[in-house]
Amino acid sequence: MPRSMWSGSLSFGLVNVPVVMVTAVRDLDLHFRQLHEKDGAPIEVQRWCSKEDVEVPFEEIARAFEFDDGSHVIVSDEELEAIEPRRTRTIEIEQFVELAEVDPIYFDHPYYLLPAGSDDGSARAYRLLADVMARTNRAALGRFVMRAKEYLAIVRSYDGALMLSTMLFADEVRDSEDVENAAQKSHKPPAQQVKAAVAVIEELSGRWEPSEWKDRYRRRLQDVVSRKRKGKTIKAPEPRETEPAEATDLMAALEQTLAEMRG
Amino acid sequence: MPRSIWNGTITFGLIAVPIKVHSATESHTVHFHQVHAEDGARIKQKRICSKEDREVPYKEVSMGYEVRGGEFVLLDKEEIDAAAGDRSRTIELEQFVDPTEVDPVFYDRTYYLGAGDDGQDAYRLLLDALKRAKRSGIGRWVFHNREYLVSVRAGDDLLVLHTMRFADELVRAEKLDIAKPSRKPGKRELDMAEQLVDSLEKNFRPASFKDSYRDRVAELIKRKAEGEEIELPEPEEVEAPDDLMAALEASLGNGRRKARR
Repeated sequence: MPRSMWSGSLSFGLVNVPVVMVTAVRDLDLHFRQLHEKDGAPIEVQRWCSKEDVEVPFEEIARAFEFDDGSHVIVSDEELEAIEPRRTRTIEIEQFVELAEVDPIYFDHPYYLLPAGSDDGSARAYRLLADVMARTNRAALGRFVMRAKEYLAIVRSYDGALMLSTMLFADEVRDSEDVENAAQKSHKPPAQQVKAAVAVIEELSGRWEPSEWKDRYRRRLQDVVSRKRKGKTIKAPEPRETEPAEATDLMAALEQTLAEMRG
Repeated sequence: MPRSIWNGTITFGLIAVPIKVHSATESHTVHFHQVHAEDGARIKQKRICSKEDREVPYKEVSMGYEVRGGEFVLLDKEEIDAAAGDRSRTIELEQFVDPTEVDPVFYDRTYYLGAGDDGQDAYRLLLDALKRAKRSGIGRWVFHNREYLVSVRAGDDLLVLHTMRFADELVRAEKLDIAKPSRKPGKRELDMAEQLVDSLEKNFRPASFKDSYRDRVAELIKRKAEGEEIELPEPEEVEAPDDLMAALEASLGNGRRKARR
């Protein structure tokens, strides 16, 4: 069972559901430790004062905001806590939305909410909320504070449990209109080309089966580690020389693709 | 819009679409530095060799993978980079899927795509075809010496790329040991809860949610800079309702009153 990241309650009208939050993502990355190349000894990161050139113990370290002119103010944990919203241990559901209406770009980190404690009331209120959101295909939006930051969150039923994803605020999503050279009206493709491209897409279509897609990078990294352990040397592959030729004739490329696919 | 962070080609079949990748998101979190409390000087981190007790320059640092307690396999940074695979500048869309089948939990970071040089026709063709076919493409992308699974979909007027999480990275809910209630919620409770959901339903308008906490942090910094003292309040406790039905009824009463106003 993953460690709880947050505990508090989810409030839905006057119904409060005490919950704990655990991450929904497992860290399967290979982690490396920095070692000193010549003697293989682990490297320790020490915090030093840039003025006095002495090591600084943890309790003498403070958090400071630096202004453009180089001056700064120190802000304590307690002061940051003081400006958290008053109902800081509560995720108050402010509205429900249709899940499909929320662009995936807003989803950030996923967590599960679990009923807290052992009392039956929590378990029932939790189950009611999970069931009603599954039944209506709706998701709840609310806000909460975790580790000195306020998050917008979307809570929904997933896999029989309540899943909470932190969300980006609107101003953290860039305006797609500013992207250079996105679709331009003047480059509208002929209907015949679109039809052929759709045919290619349909030939390559299948069901989304997430477990069929493996993390090849992780596997290769494990392989690099085990080969190195056996004393083999590892060589980085050269970048592939042959880049796909730019199709000057889109229609010809589409037709050739379809001909090859359909044998 | 800042400059692109990667240039390359998306392929599907034999069709090549030159693209430029841009970040779609930006953080506005207020950032702090670590300082030495007594003199306010910045903290700097030093890498110290635990054997020799002296500072180690970055070029003398190797990466160690711990195979058992205290025993490391030593790798150069270049050897780790080798795992990225062939560093092609191509994202081949290997499969197309119905994007409504892909749960948003699989999407990680988002990028916007612009057309690469002379790629306007091919770009627009892929965008229009994805819209028409109601599909998104799945492929692999090597970025910063790491290979990602990605999905390329049609946004309103541009191609959008998401890096994706792998299925084995997601925790299955069934592994979580979620406490079951002695009896399930009844039909009446579900119906009332559904009415409550309906009464609170609105369209999603992202801009209506502001990061007010970020503003308060900025305000706190300003007050501190002016030498003000900050007061510290007490937290409070919350309990589950003993009577779920009564709480639902009371909430619904509330919701209706609000709606009428």
